[in-house]
Amino acid sequence: MGRFAPNLGHLLVPVCLVLVLGIMAAVRAPQTFTYVGLAGALLVAAPLILAAVAITPIAIAGRGGVDLSIGPLIGFVNVTIVVWLAENGITNPVFVFAYAIAAACVWQVLLACFIIYVRISPIIATLAGFMILQGVNLVILSRPGGFAPEWLSDWGWGTELLSPVLYILIAAFVIWFLFQRTAVFQHIRLMGADERTAYTAGVDIVKARFAAHLIAGVFAGLAALCLTGLIGSGDPTQGNTLTLQAITALVLGGTSLAGGKGGITGSVLGAIAMYLVFVVLSSFNFGAISGFMTQLFYGLMLVISLMLALLANKNRLQPA
Amino acid sequence: MPAISLENIKKAFGETHALAGASLHAEMGEIHAIVGENGSGKSTLAKVISGVVLPDSGSIDIMGHCPTEPAEAIAAGISTIYQEIMVAEDLSVWENVFAGSDSFWRRSMTTAEKKSLARETLKRLALTDIEPDTPVAALPLNIKQWIVIARAILQKPRLLIFDESSAALDLDATNRLHKEMLSLKEAGSCVMLVTHRIAELVKITDSATVLRDGETVGRLEKADITEENLLRLMSADSRHLATAKREKNVISIEQKPALEACGVRLSDHSDPIDFKLYPGEIVGVAGLDGAGHDRFVSILAGIRRPKEGSVQVWQGSTDSHTIDSLAAADGAGITYVSGDRKKEGIFPNLSIIENFAIALYGRYSRRGWIDRKGLNELFRSEEERLSIKYASKSDRITTLSGGNQQKVLIARAFAASPKVIILNDPARGVDIGTKQDLYAHLRRFASNGGAVIYLSSEIEEFFNFADRAEVFFEGGLFASLEQSEISEENLLSAMFGKAQPVVFDEDTVSEGAA
Repeated sequence: MGRFAPNLGHLLVPVCLVLVLGIMAAVRAPQTFTYVGLAGALLVAAPLILAAVAITPIAIAGRGGVDLSIGPLIGFVNVTIVVWLAENGITNPVFVFAYAIAAACVWQVLLACFIIYVRISPIIATLAGFMILQGVNLVILSRPGGFAPEWLSDWGWGTELLSPVLYILIAAFVIWFLFQRTAVFQHIRLMGADERTAYTAGVDIVKARFAAHLIAGVFAGLAALCLTGLIGSGDPTQGNTLTLQAITALVLGGTSLAGGKGGITGSVLGAIAMYLVFVVLSSFNFGAISGFMTQLFYGLMLVISLMLALLANKNRLQPA
Repeated sequence: MPAISLENIKKAFGETHALAGASLHAEMGEIHAIVGENGSGKSTLAKVISGVVLPDSGSIDIMGHCPTEPAEAIAAGISTIYQEIMVAEDLSVWENVFAGSDSFWRRSMTTAEKKSLARETLKRLALTDIEPDTPVAALPLNIKQWIVIARAILQKPRLLIFDESSAALDLDATNRLHKEMLSLKEAGSCVMLVTHRIAELVKITDSATVLRDGETVGRLEKADITEENLLRLMSADSRHLATAKREKNVISIEQKPALEACGVRLSDHSDPIDFKLYPGEIVGVAGLDGAGHDRFVSILAGIRRPKEGSVQVWQGSTDSHTIDSLAAADGAGITYVSGDRKKEGIFPNLSIIENFAIALYGRYSRRGWIDRKGLNELFRSEEERLSIKYASKSDRITTLSGGNQQKVLIARAFAASPKVIILNDPARGVDIGTKQDLYAHLRRFASNGGAVIYLSSEIEEFFNFADRAEVFFEGGLFASLEQSEISEENLLSAMFGKAQPVVFDEDTVSEGAA
């Protein structure tokens, strides 16, 4: 891992965060760390982890690229798997996988076109996308319901650690690891760090931006499959909350929204930290307000970790 | 074999004509220089060749190509080292050296190979051993310059364009660079050098194209490339912009200067500068890009702090204040007007009157309430004096022409009733009428006891206008010309670091230009 050594600084805060929260969770809710507990945790956390992974390449590509539409996109794939595929008897796993990934990629390509050719800033383009998909999802399925293909809803038992959800997560890591070693990824990083330098150095910045969105689409499709497996049905609104959570996880993980910096390891750690906060808070008896408490602590955690990252960076830069 | 053939290239940015009929021819296996004053269009011409700037008209043939974007140029074997140092600050040294070296899908070599090659190349070029994983942001400017040079050289170009018109390299480094260029030339490539360091260029170039105001005014072959010939071609016919001659104020010996700089150093290596500005004086400041003159005026204005030394203002004959911040400068009655309106002057989303009043709200308010009536009256009187043309003062400032925007900024500066006004190239992109208004206004200000520092990139502005001209060269104050000595020849020679003015022979000028 020597070659990543100088870039590991941004992981310091998320790693500490996960460790601290992990110890708290182990004390307050020891059942989390049993075989069944971990299997359940994996199942519940997977959609968020993959959503955070999906928006990472877009953030790295720069221009303040944060994909607000990620939540409704995952929701869209979820409801269409249930309404368009399962209800029409299309349940072949290969086809459902291919559909989920292709649908998310098509959406990401659309977004990329708007950002590149219409020159809309990513945050506006994806905000519009957020609202459009939110509406579309409700048109397709007005209230939670329907059934996912059986093999997919079986994932939702969450009693086995060595489940398809784990394999999907591992596959996502492998895809990212390979992607990270490609020339395309270097182009995306360079473009995100300084678009003018990338352009004058001969990088095809149009292709690079499309590539960032396409790889995001792959992960978004996987996230949607995990969500569908988790809830076993279609839910037009469940995905929406993932947007803000995924962005929080991304920022917690030290990926800079300014571009050029970060990776999915941080995003995954951020997502795990958020899940652990949820677990720790659930162990207290907040009753009806527990949902609000979770939100409150997500916000506090974000502010504190950004402040810590600032301090850590200052100390690192001073002797230079 | 011809490497580059450009004919009658024209390019306008808004109302500024950066290139107005530039032509250039260079052969493979030679070092060709593009020379010219500030703003003569040499950097724009270089960007036309590298595909960054697309010309409005003209014909281009660069080794059989006509690149329309940098990627195309690089693929055709054209590498460019831009005037701006193009590095991604957050990325590592090796990533910057090999930026764009991979094709879209395939990497050109492994990361380990890139790192060791980046290290080796920088060791050879910069004579320092740099850990290739270091983020570029942590490195000094000259190393960043070497990184972009390394990037270009490693592309093994058949045509290398090096825009060094504001390069951050010292003499020793320049010699090393010249060695690299000569080895490229040996290998049959063509090297284009955009520069104003004419002393060095005379040594290594085989031919040169001279630009003036965006036009090619001459081409010199090896034997004709001398400092005298180059300077002669570069200097325009003297256009005396300022009209009536100005009588120089007599400064009595016991008078205290309005502003005084003692032992100010612009960088670690430059000589300390002593400078005095007396009430009633108009002092011109000139220099080529990177000569440090702009840094000097921003130190006087309290925007930057000097490396060493101090700036003081005298109030009365005994009381002096040190200027070390903008607040101190403001308190001492020093105002600053920048010619870079977009970056340092206007608030594009605010109205004309708001742009005018923004620095005056503190003075024109009572208990937190803005005195609109007072401000409007003040605006009316300033607007008349400067003859600003506008439709309604609540229009956005960007609805005005560049010249009128500049007038609003100058009105803002005058409305603060300053003792010293520092102008940084205020006439950039401004029409002649506005310039005349501005000169008249500044003269009036000076004869009422104000002091003016006027930095200009167009030396013609100083004729019959400035009482004194301070010329900077390579980070130091090189020459101080009295009013009678201010001439095109003297200023230009001093800007290029020549102590003795070049003797001009009118006949050879027209010959060379033909």
